[in-house]
Amino acid sequence: MRGAVIPITMVPGDSPLHKIAPLPKLAWSFGVLIIAFMTRNPAILGTIILAGLLLTTIAQIWKPMLRVMIVLFPVFVISIFLQSIAPAFPKPWNPIVGFGPFTIYQEGIYSGITMFGRAFGMTLFAMVTIMTTHPSDLFASLEKIGMPYVLNFILTVTLQLIPILQREFGTVLSAQKSRGMKGTGFGAVLPSMVPVFVGAIERVQQLSISLESRAFGSTGNKTSYRNVVMRPSDYIILVSGLLATFATGYWILVDKSLDWSRSMTFSPTLSISLVVSAGLIFTSFVTIAIFKIIKT
Amino acid sequence: MAGESLLPPLPNYGYKNMAKKKPVIEFRNLTFSYQLQEIPALKNINLTIYEGEYVAILGLNGAGKTTLQLCINGVIPNMIFGDFEGDVLVNGLNTQEYPTREMAKIVGMVFDNPEFQLTQTSVAEEVALGLENLGIPTVEMHPIIEDALETVGLDGLQERSPFALSGGQQQRLAIASALAMKPQIFVMDEPTSNIDPIGKEEVIAVAAKLNKEKHMTVILAEHEVEVIAQFADHVIVIHEGEIILDGTPHEVFAQVEKLEKIGLRVPQVTEFAYRLEKEYGVKVKEYPIKIDEAEQFAADTFKK
Repeated sequence: MRGAVIPITMVPGDSPLHKIAPLPKLAWSFGVLIIAFMTRNPAILGTIILAGLLLTTIAQIWKPMLRVMIVLFPVFVISIFLQSIAPAFPKPWNPIVGFGPFTIYQEGIYSGITMFGRAFGMTLFAMVTIMTTHPSDLFASLEKIGMPYVLNFILTVTLQLIPILQREFGTVLSAQKSRGMKGTGFGAVLPSMVPVFVGAIERVQQLSISLESRAFGSTGNKTSYRNVVMRPSDYIILVSGLLATFATGYWILVDKSLDWSRSMTFSPTLSISLVVSAGLIFTSFVTIAIFKIIKT
Repeated sequence: MAGESLLPPLPNYGYKNMAKKKPVIEFRNLTFSYQLQEIPALKNINLTIYEGEYVAILGLNGAGKTTLQLCINGVIPNMIFGDFEGDVLVNGLNTQEYPTREMAKIVGMVFDNPEFQLTQTSVAEEVALGLENLGIPTVEMHPIIEDALETVGLDGLQERSPFALSGGQQQRLAIASALAMKPQIFVMDEPTSNIDPIGKEEVIAVAAKLNKEKHMTVILAEHEVEVIAQFADHVIVIHEGEIILDGTPHEVFAQVEKLEKIGLRVPQVTEFAYRLEKEYGVKVKEYPIKIDEAEQFAADTFKK
């Protein structure tokens, strides 16, 4: 199981993006999230994706980004496959081609592409934010804008516990193997769950005692070690993020010509190749994943 | 005092000299049993610990060492429940009335497993956690953190993840985290049981440093009798929840037979002198407990 974790954490670096305070980055990420859900316009979503890729380049985090996307991309792509057959779109649907019981619809392709664009664009921005921000700075900033300290703390501790539990899992699996039990495959995972979770509960109990011993939750004011400084440039980025979100949102609401769902048409060849390649990417991903699980 | 009457008072060495000092921890008729357990983990404990003492608690696993220590910062009875009779006074405060998070301002605690005590993403933040909880201003934190890390020999590792440290380093980080809060009393529960020999020496040396240089009252549960003999000035032996010996290391380790009966070891040099006395009739005035004392003892004995 080791090494199977997606590296969703900070990638140390010295890029301009690393130097921006967490709040402006969060503002842009949330702006993108809002806009992505407001529109189905492929051009806007495409711009978001391109911007996301550009930021990935500026932050020099292509390698970790690829490692994340290898897992997530097939999941995003499958929406093209599923939507083409059963569009989440008001009827009437215009059929393009049919294979027996399945029919590919114009609206389905459109809907699939937009859903893929939303998910991909949002994830890109979120990942750039996470990978260029120290988790402690992120939490400290969240606390500044009113996130409760305890909630913050829970997040931090959870992040820390994941690798530890993973290692414990490995230890338990080795112990199972050394006692002649099944040590590989899915069948070995289930019986290992019990010792790992009992261990986790014990660990959390110990942790709470040790935290209280360090005055956690004591009366009086609490201070913060990490002091995130917002420079003028950070404020500019923050405000421009909010303005951009607001302006784009307003544009989407007002300009009805941005809805291309009826005007955009897909030729049968393009539709089939899109659906087939989406299906192929997804099934090959699932096959590789299953193969890996069986092998470990 | 439980074991006091058993022991002959020694001139110039007795912890009674400490009596001039202020008592910081007092156990008064303390009996405690954990929930759903009939046999009490601690039975009728009466004990006084004075300011600036280096106290070692000795006992087999399950004898009640940890339970005794958890009473000092109020984890028992405030976080771990059970049948609690008697009183524990720390600096005059009754632990039943003050939760652990408040007692933490007086008592620093380090546990046996370093990994169970670390939560943060960097060494500096780990040390800062306690300071944040105490409300120390950010600007004042930096020198305190640096000082604490320097004391335990971890300076320069501020930005490292606590989970990327060795066992000994992790335990020293746990000590630094407690130390930064500047507690009066430092309680360590078998801090060396999960780390390698070099790490052990490092941790023990740090504990001695806190006692001698920072004048903290140190209470250490430990199995290594040689370590105890070298550093402690007050030894408590617990067996089945009762204090059976309480005195200076010389007083306690002189009770070789009694200690061996319950399965505890004495320092090797003490045992050497004991056997010489028993098997060869060599007269021993005072059992040596440290190497230099043994050297003196051997020189005196073989000169004759």
